Amino acid sequence: MGDSLFQLPDELLFTTLSQTFPCRDAQIRAVATLLHPHAAPCRNLVIHGTEATGKSAITAALLQALQDDTEKDEPLLRHVIVNSIECITARHLYESTIAKVAEALQWQGGATRCDSVSQMVVELSKMLKYPSYPDNFRFVLVFDGIDRQREAPITLLPALARLSEIIPRITSVFTVTSPPAGFLRTSFVPYIEFPNYTKNEFVTILNTTSLPTAPLPTTTIQETTELWNRFTGAIHDALARSASRTLPALQHACTSLWPRFTAPVLAGTHTPREFSRLMVAARVHFQDESLLDPGIVAVRSYSSSSTTTTTTTTQAQAKDKTAAQLSAPPSQANTPRKAHSTTTTPSKPKATANPLVSATTTDLSTLLPPTARLLLLASYLASHNPTRHDLVLFSTFHHGRRRRRGGLSVGMGRGGHRGAQSKHRKIARKLLGAHAFVLERMLAIFMAVRGEWDPKWLDQDSSSREMDADIEMAIATLASLRLLVKVGGAGAGGVTGDQMDRGGKWRCNVGWEVIRGLGRSMGVEIEEWLVE
Amino acid sequence: MAETHDENPVLSEEDDHRVFYIFNPRAGLHTSLPQEKTARPVKKRRVTSKRAWSVSAADHAGVAPHAEEETETTTAVAATAAFSQLFGGKESVEAAGLRRQVFDTAWPVLDGRIKNVLREANRTTLEDVSSFIRDAEGDATRGTRIPAGFIITGPNIASQDLLFEQLSEALGKATQARFVRLRAAGAPNLKAALKKVIRDATAQVSLDGGDGDEDTEVALGRDGRKYLDYDLEGLHAFLGVQQDSSRRVVVAFEDSEAFESSLLTDLLGLFHSWQGRIQFSVLFGIATSVELFQARLLKSTARQLFGAKFDVVQADLVLDNVFKSAIAGTQATLRLGPTLLRSLLDRQRDQVAGIRVFISSIKYAYMCHFYANPLSVLLADEKSLTRQLLQPEHIQAVRTLVSFKAHVEAAVDARQLNHAQLLVEDDGYLVRQMVEQRQKKQDYLMQLLRSLHLLTSMDLVPGRFTDLYVAALAGGLDLTPTIDGIKRLGADDVPALINRLLTAIRTGSPDLDLPGWEDEAEELISSLCEIRDEIEALAEQAQEKGQQALKSKFTAQSKVLRTTVIAQKVQLSQDTAKLTDEDKAFGKAIDALVDLLTHHIYSDPVDSLFLHEAWAYDAEAPYRDVFVPRPGTTFERALTRPHAYLGCECCSKANGTLSATLPTTCILYRLYLETGSLVNVADLWSAYYALVGEDSVDGGLGEREALVQFYHGLAELRLMGFVKSSKKKADHVAKVKWLL
Repeated sequence: MGDSLFQLPDELLFTTLSQTFPCRDAQIRAVATLLHPHAAPCRNLVIHGTEATGKSAITAALLQALQDDTEKDEPLLRHVIVNSIECITARHLYESTIAKVAEALQWQGGATRCDSVSQMVVELSKMLKYPSYPDNFRFVLVFDGIDRQREAPITLLPALARLSEIIPRITSVFTVTSPPAGFLRTSFVPYIEFPNYTKNEFVTILNTTSLPTAPLPTTTIQETTELWNRFTGAIHDALARSASRTLPALQHACTSLWPRFTAPVLAGTHTPREFSRLMVAARVHFQDESLLDPGIVAVRSYSSSSTTTTTTTTQAQAKDKTAAQLSAPPSQANTPRKAHSTTTTPSKPKATANPLVSATTTDLSTLLPPTARLLLLASYLASHNPTRHDLVLFSTFHHGRRRRRGGLSVGMGRGGHRGAQSKHRKIARKLLGAHAFVLERMLAIFMAVRGEWDPKWLDQDSSSREMDADIEMAIATLASLRLLVKVGGAGAGGVTGDQMDRGGKWRCNVGWEVIRGLGRSMGVEIEEWLVE
Repeated sequence: MAETHDENPVLSEEDDHRVFYIFNPRAGLHTSLPQEKTARPVKKRRVTSKRAWSVSAADHAGVAPHAEEETETTTAVAATAAFSQLFGGKESVEAAGLRRQVFDTAWPVLDGRIKNVLREANRTTLEDVSSFIRDAEGDATRGTRIPAGFIITGPNIASQDLLFEQLSEALGKATQARFVRLRAAGAPNLKAALKKVIRDATAQVSLDGGDGDEDTEVALGRDGRKYLDYDLEGLHAFLGVQQDSSRRVVVAFEDSEAFESSLLTDLLGLFHSWQGRIQFSVLFGIATSVELFQARLLKSTARQLFGAKFDVVQADLVLDNVFKSAIAGTQATLRLGPTLLRSLLDRQRDQVAGIRVFISSIKYAYMCHFYANPLSVLLADEKSLTRQLLQPEHIQAVRTLVSFKAHVEAAVDARQLNHAQLLVEDDGYLVRQMVEQRQKKQDYLMQLLRSLHLLTSMDLVPGRFTDLYVAALAGGLDLTPTIDGIKRLGADDVPALINRLLTAIRTGSPDLDLPGWEDEAEELISSLCEIRDEIEALAEQAQEKGQQALKSKFTAQSKVLRTTVIAQKVQLSQDTAKLTDEDKAFGKAIDALVDLLTHHIYSDPVDSLFLHEAWAYDAEAPYRDVFVPRPGTTFERALTRPHAYLGCECCSKANGTLSATLPTTCILYRLYLETGSLVNVADLWSAYYALVGEDSVDGGLGEREALVQFYHGLAELRLMGFVKSSKKKADHVAKVKWLL
């Protein structure tokens, strides 16, 4: 075997790999050539490509196969894969590299502490450089996702790339997403790209990997396969080109759409041959956004073992409902959903009154107590109204119309600075991000609007109308919920970084839609209080 | 806080129940004070925020009254673990001890019941979460995603401590998982979070306990290899050694909104990449909504989660249950009055105050009552409450009560002059009356609770039990709100209503801990049955006669509009509908029912009872002072009227005006009130010096001395958060506080 200078690995190896990883034949062969001890082993190898193109999986499988393949007479190839995502610090990377190398070589007594890359080189040299190994022995170090290493020193990548200069047996493989030119600071590094799949490849892969195993009840397996074939193609055209480019996303879209798509076939209204009719029937489902963004709640009601068809309907219903909610006022939005909420807790009917499918706006306003809601509204006003209008808006001496739209011509044409500002105001302020405000100002706004927004509060005697600990608790709660965010670091300009420091700067972290719903839940049209 | 009293029996005397007291660290040097020429430096400020000293008696240990401590040590030792003696110290040690004892027996009963209610409330959620975590393993649709439970807890994260505690127990039991609880404050960065995860999962107690950045190593594996303490490989090796076949770790993010999104992303990515080797599951306590939470996560992170949503029982329901068992229930020794209850309930609704606050408020009310009310001794059981225990002071105290006055006046009005005279003059008679009153109190409470229970079981009153209870305490209770409802009932509904009432009487209410009272209510039961049978018989009769349904004079529209068409003209005429004999009898039966119920469902306001002060507590102020303090007002008061705290004569003369004898900080605060948003320090200084300097009338401080005090005062203002340094203008400080 060692006779010839250049010898590719066994063809059988490629065929098995190609079966597991379809449409990656060229890449597999290229990587194998550059890693195999008898082929053209190189010192460094960069494997790059976007997310979910099979870089890590193929490298791992190929190396394992090569290792098993060359095992016949003597160990010719050993490999180690270090996943940078699992390494919290650079030190962690070094130490796990050494530990893994020691494990792969069954080396006893490796060092436990390794602080720097030079120390790692020493340790690796002990294990790899000085002991004798068979001719052509190669050790492959795979640094998976090394571009995402946390706390990486700036010299990390060049240093790793030069490992093989010191220890010639080593081949370092860097798996990265998109390498900048010359990021290893070494010349002659082969790059192998794993491009994203084309449409044909996608369809082929989906056919081989996630083909529905059971044929549809009324059809033959042949028909099902054909239907799936055309279905995946259609999905690709509809979704992949514009939005979901990765294989897993597409796979998810296919598997979740398949039951809805084939529902007419099951119902017997269409036959699997009538593809275009099926497409027309399923067109609504293709517009479902949850295909692209599945969200984090995967199981709507886990206790009842819902079949796929029922989830289909529930999702469709949920979609209709949310659409209906947008138009319906929040107070009414609760009622239609009660019937729909799947009862998980039969013993406590009130607990299920809080619907499983719920909109953000209704949620916040029911969750927060009135004081916290008022504070949130006040902070929204503080964030989105410029300070100079506070007097106009909130002064109790000014009983005319509170809202002033458009006007404010005072500042116009008073020099370049003002002019620039007025131009800037053309963008609606609520579209701009929230501005930081001083806590004291927000509290002043809160006190000013409280009487108007909360009539009950005026009934109390004046002694209990002062700022008390409940208000501060509400602020602290809002802050811990990140609805209010403190701007600036702990010691930024204050004596201490205390939350209750009245000079501290804050920002409202809630969007316009939520605030409007919140305001309406208190009977306040927040728009009337916004300048512009 | 009872524990605090235990630890510091010495400190808890005298000062805890006063609104404020005069702090005089030099009590021993009192006599020598006038000799000292320099009066100013003697004054040590004690600007006490109410919160600071009321909430924790432990704070007192540092600063509080050493002077009194020494003089009263002897008595305090004698009454170890007792409350301080009231009646100006004339109360006997035994009576004080008995009050303490009553409190010690009364509270744990309630505490146990409340805990039970809380635990019970979370049960369904617990079961759901456990089964989700267990089932997620086998779920084929999950893929490599991490099972994630989103527990919608509501905004009061602090009160969900119990839930997570229970979760950790339940999940440990149900799934053999290792449970790790993370809080945002305890896990500021990735390393610290991982350290905590690994430490808790391996249940290793770390001595350094810090979240510092130093990398320490732990040996966890079989081969003694050392791992960095944030290396999940270590956890993996540990689980391997433990022969833990499931290798499940459940990580709970208690306040997930408070975590940095980047930290969450990192952690979840890490867990995901270890998913095949360690079975991670995550739980999120979510205060707002899953949608808001999802919006903060990266889409790629969201894709790694396999989530399900869980709702916790709503706070309202829990509050109702706690209220029923702890306040309204028969187990409650002390009755909380309507004013206090109203304010407690309002606070629960309007403010961010969790159920925990509610419970501690109840406890505080108990503590206040037994600590500060000498008559609370009357709540002790008959064995321990002997005649000897009641001192003349107790009798006198009873005679000063408002309810005593009302009782005597009522007796006079009722021409029971002898009774009234004996009450006022004969101590022995009064004591007998007081003992009798205990039974009357029991009867009153039973009547109140039974009436309430009957009312609520009728299902005709809108509104919650809590509101009904509070209204009943405040203004009494009768059938009025439901009379209309009863009268409008049809012939089928009335027997059902009566049946509901009968069951209510038979079973009582386990929530209220109210046993059934079938034996005592034979008359009521038989009358109810009678009415029911009568109505059923009437309905049958009516059916036989072919009548549609029974109508009573209340339900049937007495006037019917009749339209007649004569010669293409419509004539409208009103006509009284005729009631059959059965209908009339039905109406009478309903009248009888209403009369019967009116007779049985009634209750007086709590303050109409003689001696209710001994067993009802209705003071709102102590509760507000402790649980809703107003630090701003307190500061303002202390700075504008320092003599209220310092008790010196010099300042009380200068009431409301500036005077050189005021403490420096107070003077500066006065000046500060008059400034704009930026304060020129030099101006402030010259104004201050003009007041206290050598040229002024009653000042006479040297410049250097005045300057030192000025700096001192300004530093104190800064410390209290009134000013802060400003970069806007040189030599200026910014005014920070405008509102109180």
